[in-house]
Amino acid sequence: MALPKRIVKETERLMAEPVPGISAVPHEDNLRYFDVTVEGPSQSPYEGGIFKLELFLPDDYPMTPPKIRFLTKIYHPNIDKLGRICLDVLKSNWSPALQIRTILLSIQALLGAPNPDDPLANDVAQHWKENQNAAIQTAREWTQQYAKPQ
Amino acid sequence: MKVTILEWHAVAAWRWDAPADDVCGICSQPYDSTCPKCKYPGDDCSIVEGECTHTFHMHCIATWMQHDPKSQCPMCRQDFKFKGENVAQEPQGEEGRDVGEGAAV
Ligand SMILES: [Zn+2]
Ligand SMILES: [Zn+2]
Ligand SMILES: [Zn+2]
Repeated sequence: MALPKRIVKETERLMAEPVPGISAVPHEDNLRYFDVTVEGPSQSPYEGGIFKLELFLPDDYPMTPPKIRFLTKIYHPNIDKLGRICLDVLKSNWSPALQIRTILLSIQALLGAPNPDDPLANDVAQHWKENQNAAIQTAREWTQQYAKPQ
Repeated sequence: MKVTILEWHAVAAWRWDAPADDVCGICSQPYDSTCPKCKYPGDDCSIVEGECTHTFHMHCIATWMQHDPKSQCPMCRQDFKFKGENVAQEPQGEEGRDVGEGAAV
């Protein structure tokens, strides 16, 4: 099946005008599959880290949202051990007016503003609520340990 | 000098009565072009406007309504309701809406 023009356009724009701190590069043999990196936002416990994600555009994209997962280990109340992300726009609040670009920006924003009240990783959220400073410290350590650029 | 016209190729352009540089918020294709499922632009692949004034290819918004249990407009998330009639329709009867030069010819 030919790649829909919308995906071609989105890819071209991602290449021509990349979002600061974010890269998304499609696989040559599967243009619906992207290697993504997101830099941890400054002033967050993820600062200095570069996080790898995989992004896949399902056949019925943009009617259904892209499938995205963190590949880099990350300590965050809204991201579970498998790298799955709890973000409303990736689920019930998806709209076909959103794009790869806007979704990646939302993920970067989520790194800057963890939300332990809407958790996916319950133990992390618990830690975050009980002792925020310690949780942030753990998140920093994980960033140093797993998200350091080689 | 006398010029004899041997052959005449008429070329006509048409466009929907919608902002020319605008694209459908769902498929990112210009309104003059078709939705991703259709081959030929025109009446078979029309555009529709919602009461919220957002415009889409009819096929695109119809597919989205099937996917979205809330049937919200993709742009503004209000309930999507078709605005009376197709924005690109020819004026009909005495209602004769102002379609203007930009209309489909
Ligand atoms: Zn469309
Ligand atoms: Zn169509
Ligand atoms: Zn709208």
